[in-house]
Amino acid sequence: MSDKVLVIDDERPTLKMFTLLLSAYGYEVLTAENGLEGVETFRRESPDLVLTDIKMPIMDGIEALKAIKKLNPATEVIVITGHGDMDLAIQALNLDATDFINKPLKREALEKALTRAKERMTIARNSEGQVVLEEKNRAAVIGVRGNVSAMTMPRLTEAFEKAMAMDKEAVLIEFEKNASINGAGITGLTELLRGNAGSGTRVYLAGLSSNFRSVFEALGITRYAELFDQGRETLTDA
Amino acid sequence: MTLGERITARFTRIGLREKLLFSMLAAVLFISVAIALISRWILVSSLTNELEMRGFAIAHSVAERGGSYLLDNDIPRLLVLIFDEARLRQRKDLVAYIFIEDQAGNILAHTLTHRLPDNLRANTLPPGKPDSIKLMELGDQEVYDLAAAINEGLYRIGTVHVGLNKRHIDALVGKLRVAFLGFISAVVIITIILSSWLSKYITKPVSDLTRLSDEISRGNFDIPLKLGSGEDWDSAECPAFSNTDLPCWHFDQSRSGQTPAETHRKCADCAFYRKHTGDEVVQLGDSFRNMVWSIKLYRRRLRESEEKYRSLFDSGPDPIFVVDCASGTIRDANPRTTELYGYPREQLMDMPFLALGPEHNAACLDFFTEGGGGCVYYPKRLHYKNGGEPFFVNMHACPISYRGRQAIIIAVTDITELIEKDAQLIQAAKMKSLGEMSAGVAHEINQPLNAIKVGSEFLSMMWEEDLEIPKEHFGEVVNEISSQVDRAAEIIDTLRSFGRKSDLIEESVDLNQPVRAVLSMVRRQFELENIRFELELVAGLSPVRAHSNRLQQVLFNLVTNARDAINDVSNADTGGDRRIIIRTGNREDKVFIEVEDTGGGIDEMDQQKIFEPFFTTKEAGQGMGLGLAITYGIIKDYGGEIRIDSTKGRGTVFRMEFPAAARGETKA
Repeated sequence: MSDKVLVIDDERPTLKMFTLLLSAYGYEVLTAENGLEGVETFRRESPDLVLTDIKMPIMDGIEALKAIKKLNPATEVIVITGHGDMDLAIQALNLDATDFINKPLKREALEKALTRAKERMTIARNSEGQVVLEEKNRAAVIGVRGNVSAMTMPRLTEAFEKAMAMDKEAVLIEFEKNASINGAGITGLTELLRGNAGSGTRVYLAGLSSNFRSVFEALGITRYAELFDQGRETLTDA
Repeated sequence: MTLGERITARFTRIGLREKLLFSMLAAVLFISVAIALISRWILVSSLTNELEMRGFAIAHSVAERGGSYLLDNDIPRLLVLIFDEARLRQRKDLVAYIFIEDQAGNILAHTLTHRLPDNLRANTLPPGKPDSIKLMELGDQEVYDLAAAINEGLYRIGTVHVGLNKRHIDALVGKLRVAFLGFISAVVIITIILSSWLSKYITKPVSDLTRLSDEISRGNFDIPLKLGSGEDWDSAECPAFSNTDLPCWHFDQSRSGQTPAETHRKCADCAFYRKHTGDEVVQLGDSFRNMVWSIKLYRRRLRESEEKYRSLFDSGPDPIFVVDCASGTIRDANPRTTELYGYPREQLMDMPFLALGPEHNAACLDFFTEGGGGCVYYPKRLHYKNGGEPFFVNMHACPISYRGRQAIIIAVTDITELIEKDAQLIQAAKMKSLGEMSAGVAHEINQPLNAIKVGSEFLSMMWEEDLEIPKEHFGEVVNEISSQVDRAAEIIDTLRSFGRKSDLIEESVDLNQPVRAVLSMVRRQFELENIRFELELVAGLSPVRAHSNRLQQVLFNLVTNARDAINDVSNADTGGDRRIIIRTGNREDKVFIEVEDTGGGIDEMDQQKIFEPFFTTKEAGQGMGLGLAITYGIIKDYGGEIRIDSTKGRGTVFRMEFPAAARGETKA
């Protein structure tokens, strides 16, 4: 069974190219030329995955996102934003978009986003996102899978408090490849990190996709926590 | 030349004095001669008659008294009688002789002391006539012989002859003549004296005036004006002489600072103007002096004025030309012209004015040669320096009369620097607009890039995975990539042309072209804000002399203003009437563009100020308020007009009208 994906973009050539590309990935592609049309198609076909452009006439991607989330909050909506248009990306994340990709679209980014979405969907079918706390030598490691949202946030907060209580040198929040953070998740995380600021325990964020890195940078979260990718072992092994 | 003409010619040459003298003399002489002739005829003939009558009276008296003596043949008594008659009182001077002859012709008695000459008897009485007269010779004298019959009853018994001395008569006539001539001579002399005095009185001032006029004609105004009454004028006395701003009341008949009223012709006398009481000659003298004074005054003023304007001409900071209307050549030019145009003065003289600005000067010359009156202003004309370097000028041209020929005085201002500054300002504003546009443009370029990227990612994925691409898919992708590259290139072209610095020289532009160019840059962006464009572009517009990218700037300003106006009253999400309508069209010899929006309209008060620099209705920091001022400047540069038609609450129409250029050289 091929998954249905709905692509909303006002650019007909883009739609055409998307159709070819996504078909090659084995998706069944639905297209819509604007938000309004997209929402109607969504209502009719109810695909699990929606890719939408933001800037569109008649109804823009943000509006479409709102409408789709209203119809089915569990839908994976990936917004396509103009390169570097962080404001819109954050706005979309706040509206529960699960991911965003920059234009012009790179296959790698698309593939990753699609993979993450697929994994999230699988996880979502089993349970909500998972937060696992592990104690290592020098650090407390919080593993995050799936979607960090208003629902997973209390668990993350609980795990974080426990991690702090371990009184380790550092706290490492490790995002799985498929993890994503929506607006509520970002707000919660920001508050957590801000509350921790000045406690002396260093907080590291690891495993973030480049998309989220740039969002975190834009929002200033990196002031409270260090982005950390390589050398995880230095903290965990010794 | 006939004699008459010669005399007339000679007469016109002689002086007034001689004319007067000669004509008066001629008149007097003519009258005298006429009187003399008449009186001679009357006096001489009546005198002669009278004497003859007296002679006849004597003869008849002798005949009466002598009849009886004759019958008696008493010769002695007869002798006594005739001697008595002959010697009576003054008669002896008149009567030369008396003699009596009988019927037979025998001499009976005579008063002569010698024998009676026979020739005296020639005067015979014809029968039936009582008397006869005949001029005779007596010795060396001439004598009128009067014969009268002596009758006794019906019969004639003898004849009495009385000889009248002609010399006595002549002496009397002569006396008369002398008296007459004396009188006439006196009259002539008096006439001559009188006429010479009169003519001297008249001709002296006239010849003086002539002399003065001659001097003045030669340009010598510093001669004393001693005329008639004697005293000369001291120019220091006249305040108008030293102060040229002060008009001489009498001569100017207007007063400084006062507008001459209808009645100013009857203004007060000039302090300097005098009129003596006197005859016409005195008055003429006064008038002449006044006239000379007036000329002197105005000559002085003219010289000052000439000096003033000459110095303005020579020292003026801008080039000034005097151009002959008929030939179109430069007749005079001030020193600045040689500096600015780089031609030596000698070369500039008699050079056709057209050579300095072939494109634009013709219109100016034509205007005046076709009889246009008043001054005209030609802004932003292209002129060339010696060597062909172009520069921009403003030209003021006024018709004048130069050395008796119709000419134009053309003042030229070099405004190249100004225009360059202007262009820089416009360029800066354009760059700012480009900045404002950049977000939209980035989005606009991102669209094709995105399509290309997705398409090429598809291809590379298929290649990497070593998958078969269906042929039609392959073609689709490749074609799409190609056309999207074109699209991106087009956007870049438009941007480049918009950002390009305009040439100083205008081109022919179809107004639809900048409209399309601007729309290609902003349309998407506006549509994303839910603003729709409605285009009513008329095909086949007359071209306009302008710069395409400056017009794009104008349109960009207007559509962004329109967008802001629309956003002020509604937003993209809630909808509402969000349209921008752009119309183009020809109207008579004008081409117009209208940009209409469905925004909130502009206040009546703001409408008047909207084109002023730094006027803005936007909040501080939102705009400089230069957009519309620059727009206005650009439109004015192309001879266009911009008008606002706005009703509060119902949107705004900006209407621009440009003069249509001649067809057939459209570049854009």
